[in-house]
Amino acid sequence: MFVCLCTGVTSQVVTELVAGGATTSKQIAEKCGAGLDCGRCRRTVRAIIESARTDCPVHRAG
Amino acid sequence: MSEHPLHSLILAADYRVDDVESMWERLKSHRSILTELSAHHVVVYSSLWEPGRVLATVGIHNANSVREVLRSPAIFEFFDASGVDDIPAIFAGEVVEKIELAEPPPGQHAVASVVVGVVTAVEDVPALMDKVHDAADRFRDAGVCKVWVYRALDDGHEVLILQQIETEAAARRWIDHPDAAAEWMSAAGFGVYPTVFVGTLAHITSIEPADEPTDEAAG
Repeated sequence: MFVCLCTGVTSQVVTELVAGGATTSKQIAEKCGAGLDCGRCRRTVRAIIESARTDCPVHRAG
Repeated sequence: MSEHPLHSLILAADYRVDDVESMWERLKSHRSILTELSAHHVVVYSSLWEPGRVLATVGIHNANSVREVLRSPAIFEFFDASGVDDIPAIFAGEVVEKIELAEPPPGQHAVASVVVGVVTAVEDVPALMDKVHDAADRFRDAGVCKVWVYRALDDGHEVLILQQIETEAAARRWIDHPDAAAEWMSAAGFGVYPTVFVGTLAHITSIEPADEPTDEAAG
């Protein structure tokens, strides 16, 4: 799914950054640009960070 | 991710609004947004169990690239008109197959059926489609009338699946005890993906090129 419409950053990218240790929307923005422009995706980014505790079984297996 | 010209792109977003009818009225009063998007239809489903939750799909033809569409001002205006400040994650994909399993029961118009929508990741989309076809009789017996499958353009594992089910009771049974072939049901709601959407068709609009949108009442 596309998270940041301004940059085209997807949920996969954000999820990978979270798996790599990002824990705040600011860190995500610094690494991939999501949320830096209009900022209207920051809540979604924060939700993805929160959901990292409930991994998607398919992506986890992949 | 595919950047080749798309014959028909579908965007889907699951989000919350203060009032579905007000949202629709605002969208109708900003019709130019839909033509700017080259949309050919907009469908809004309203949740049965979660007031204010909607699933909106927008069909777009002749898109040059997904990212161009998504960063167009019209998309932001779409959410502005919906009264949404925080933009939700958006599914962007192409249809894999629309499987028609059964007609709605006699006397029941299609719009009265329940739509169960899921965005999730599956192991293998072609294999999934084979399983669904093999299980068609069981799906039909469970009250599933239609299964529409869309594959994301940014993730080959990601699918949007819309299932039209005869009744709310049948939908509840399907959610509690889905067929084994409907593997997307058990994977729904994990990680980044929203929980299962259960709703009914609230509004649909078809847009002919160079024509005004035609509002079709959903009852």
